[in-house]
Amino acid sequence: MPQVTGKKRKGILGAATLVFIIAGLYWGLVKAPPDAYQGDSQRIMYLHIPSILIAYLSFFLVFVGSCLYLWKREKRDDNLAYGAAEIGVLFTALTIVEGSIWGRPTWGVWWTWDARLTLTAILLLIFIGYLMLRALVEDESRAASSAAILGIIGFLDIPLIHMSVYWWRTLHQPPSILRPDKLPWENIHPELLTALAINFVAFVLLYFYMLSLRLRLGEMHEEIKARRMR
Amino acid sequence: MSMWGYVILAYGIVWGAILLYVVSLKRRYRAAENELQRLSDAKES
Amino acid sequence: MKLLRQTLLLLRKDLLLELRRHESLMTMFFFGAQLLFVFNFSFELTPARVSELAPGLLWLAFLFTGTLGLTQLFEGERGNHCLDALLMSPIDRGALFLAKTCFNIFLMGLVELVVMPLFWILFSLPSWQPLPALFLIVFLGNVGFCVLGTILAAVTLKARARELLLPLVLFPLMVPVILATIRCMEALLRFGELGDALPWLRLLIGFDVIFLTVGILIFDWVVDV
Repeated sequence: MPQVTGKKRKGILGAATLVFIIAGLYWGLVKAPPDAYQGDSQRIMYLHIPSILIAYLSFFLVFVGSCLYLWKREKRDDNLAYGAAEIGVLFTALTIVEGSIWGRPTWGVWWTWDARLTLTAILLLIFIGYLMLRALVEDESRAASSAAILGIIGFLDIPLIHMSVYWWRTLHQPPSILRPDKLPWENIHPELLTALAINFVAFVLLYFYMLSLRLRLGEMHEEIKARRMR
Repeated sequence: MSMWGYVILAYGIVWGAILLYVVSLKRRYRAAENELQRLSDAKES
Repeated sequence: MKLLRQTLLLLRKDLLLELRRHESLMTMFFFGAQLLFVFNFSFELTPARVSELAPGLLWLAFLFTGTLGLTQLFEGERGNHCLDALLMSPIDRGALFLAKTCFNIFLMGLVELVVMPLFWILFSLPSWQPLPALFLIVFLGNVGFCVLGTILAAVTLKARARELLLPLVLFPLMVPVILATIRCMEALLRFGELGDALPWLRLLIGFDVIFLTVGILIFDWVVDV
């Protein structure tokens, strides 16, 4: 029976997610040593790096869902795009919060217009625009198509936005001791790398678990709508 | 705030937000289930 | 080429309508000019600072003016089911996209042709020499803005709060165009030539080409909604 196996798979996914989250918390907060330069605030990176990758993964799924929907007009593709966008907004917002909190002890300010933070903020705005478009277009299928167009254009624009923001920051910023736009995992200690890897797996599992819940919710809404129309 | 203060703030906000979202998902799920049940009951009667 | 012919046909229609009633053009122009006055009261625009701030201020003015033009873009087709009639005709959707985009580029271009010299006069900028090159850069930025703007204007056609939604959705996507145009304009104003800013010009042209192509391909689905 498909329902039972579906539930079982979700249960396994949920359990695995929980295991890795706990392992990640342990490794990140207890086992891994503090960073030589950043001290304990480095532990925020165990959240920040997986979060930003999940945010981009989300947008990619919005793109895939949008393309498939425009091509085949199947509700489940639109469901994927919508669900991925919703969860994507959450993780993008969290990425910004994490980046900001990490920045406070490191650079002394809550916000700076460095490449990473700026890019994440732009991504958040694009996601929010997507969700607002869905909320404000009245007709359901029109909302889906409109959002799909926006999802595709947004995704295609992202590499261009990346290039422009990185050029803007690197061509004008004088070299400083702590390069804010340098990836923090260069020359990383192996223990820190393990903690990062475990947290990364935890976030990916968590993402797919949340996405499966959200997709199921979307399916149920579709069923409700279908039944109401009969 | 000490270093650990920032770490706890970050972890607190992140896991708190994720928990809230999952809870809200489950709540919406339950509401949808009830609605479906109501609709199928109405259909039978 | 059929696409070109259809585009010109549609473009001619919009231009004729506009030339007869001047609705969009006049509002855009006066709005742009008004913004210059607002800038004067908002910023200390001494001769020293004004050259530095000019690219950014001009772009702000053009962004807002352009958004005005975009919200008006399909106004002509609103009444009498004109848009439905257009869609049911055998015209290539890509032609509709190109025509609307070119129309908006044309409107914005006219406004910029007047507002930029006006800016130069009002704020007493020292040299008029960089103006033609500046106008070319602004024009390329125009193209990027109008291409994305037309797609999004069509997509938000039936949305509530459309005048607010369109900029909300459009502006984050415009970041490459804004950065590239302003960097090029800065270089032209400061050095009289692009020099180091050349990669920015390439980025700008790349943006225009990419989304022009995407627009033509994707417009079938846009107005299908």
